[in-house]
Amino acid sequence: MTPAISTQNLGKTYRVGFFMRRVRGLHDLTLDVQPGEAFGLIGPNGAGKTTAIKILMGLHRSTEGAAQLFGVDVGVPASRQRVGFLPERPYFYAHLTAREVLHFYGQLFGMPKALRHQRVEMLIERVALTRFADVTLAKYSKGMLQRVGLCQALLHDPDLIVLDEPMSGLDPLGRALVRDLILEQRAAGKTVFFSSHILSDVEAICDRVAILVGGELRECGLIADVVADRENLEAVLLGEMAAVTDESALGVL
Amino acid sequence: MIRKLWALAHNTFREAVRDRILYSILFFAVGVIALSLVTQEITVGDRDKVVRSVGLGAVAAFGSIMSMFLGISLVWGEVEKKTVYTILSKPISRWMFVLGKYLGMMMTLSVVVAIMGLVYTVLLSAQQTFPPAIVYVSMGLLMVELMLLTSWATLFSTYSAPTTAAGFTLAVFVIGHLADDIWLYGSQLESPAARAIARALYWVLPNFEMFNIRAQAVHEMAIPWPVVVGGLGYGLMYSAGVLCCAMWVFERRDLK
Ligand SMILES: Nc1ncnc2c1ncn2[C@@H]1O[C@H](COP(=O)(O)OP(=O)(O)OP(=O)(O)O)[C@@H](O)[C@H]1O
Ligand SMILES: [Mg+2]
Repeated sequence: MTPAISTQNLGKTYRVGFFMRRVRGLHDLTLDVQPGEAFGLIGPNGAGKTTAIKILMGLHRSTEGAAQLFGVDVGVPASRQRVGFLPERPYFYAHLTAREVLHFYGQLFGMPKALRHQRVEMLIERVALTRFADVTLAKYSKGMLQRVGLCQALLHDPDLIVLDEPMSGLDPLGRALVRDLILEQRAAGKTVFFSSHILSDVEAICDRVAILVGGELRECGLIADVVADRENLEAVLLGEMAAVTDESALGVL
Repeated sequence: MIRKLWALAHNTFREAVRDRILYSILFFAVGVIALSLVTQEITVGDRDKVVRSVGLGAVAAFGSIMSMFLGISLVWGEVEKKTVYTILSKPISRWMFVLGKYLGMMMTLSVVVAIMGLVYTVLLSAQQTFPPAIVYVSMGLLMVELMLLTSWATLFSTYSAPTTAAGFTLAVFVIGHLADDIWLYGSQLESPAARAIARALYWVLPNFEMFNIRAQAVHEMAIPWPVVVGGLGYGLMYSAGVLCCAMWVFERRDLK
């Protein structure tokens, strides 16, 4: 079966500042995510999680390697037809209402009007924004925007959902909502790929995880295999971070 | 594809229309046009002609200001505000995004020029006579001029921040209005090399005077069709070229 996500030696080196200093965002990432999997990407701040996701979504151009969604190269816009994406902190047109902005996104997916209407109303209700559907987004709180972000990611009932820190900025109720939504999607046979700092959620939701530190893949596999004889994911992550610090102190990196 | 393009354009238009900045500029523009048309104090020359000329000039000036002001952040603003993430992560090509934004911007400018034209018509009819057709043809050519100016602003906004883009766009605007002088001055230069450079500059940079038949309009002369058709062809082709550059530049960019 064609993997939902596939990357081969994917890498990104940024050029920053006037002197075009090189900053490594991601290096040599090789990964396959199968259809129907819930896959978690974890790692400390600056590990390269967002970089990897942005390359997959065609927002950044990779500098090494290649990546495909359902077998189609990420450089091709059509690769994102069956994909829903929630950015790290979603930003929307401030002068539009939630309903308007969702209809706009539906048009970008080429959804016919009747279907758009049905999906928009259903999702607005699902994330408990019905009361605010006709308020402009400028007046929304951070968590409410996050909910609009979830709606637009699920709008066209995609086969692959990519979420960059979907729980950030949400209250406990909102977090439970996201968790339920992800589980629901997985139960429906969809693929979910997301990054998170909330390891307990990752443990509760995911089949497999990948640990990125300093732009490199440190571990990847079933949660049980990755954790192995250690206490939990947190212990594993802290261990990897310490290992990287040691290696760089020794000049290995 | 057309429907996606329409969605992008319509959304750009809707965003602009709901922004208060648009209204403050438009309010000011209408004020200036109105003032120029009701001034009774002009003593030099033919008062009616001076009034018509100032009014048409104000429409052109505010159209250009609006084009530059909104154009310089057209693409950059979306990247900066990160609204672009939720759009380009959909099956939307980057070139389509640039084109959609541009078309939405032209919709906005058309409405703005139409409103100014309406104010001009109402005030002039009340004061003198209903303006002749050539006045509206000159406004049509102004729209072609704004298409070209906006395409340049869009190009700059695909890779530089509004302040830098403003500088570049203003430079294009000024040079474009002095193009005939560059030609005149260039052809009088001594060295052949300098003459060649001046000539090359003339051909690369836009010539906004190609679209200017306001003097004829003020004097209520016959419509100079060759100039109109020439300006239209020149403007369409040139704008398309600049837009292609904008798409090409944006295609290769990382979105912060
Ligand atoms: N647009 C950019 N320009 C330059 N460097 C960047 C850019 N985006 C990311 N980086 C660098 O790439 C590295 C990885 O960043 P990335 O945002 O992918 O981390 P992350 O794992 O998502 O972190 P966080 O948990 O804080 O969201 C960092 O060193 C960062 O400084
Ligand atoms: Mg991140």
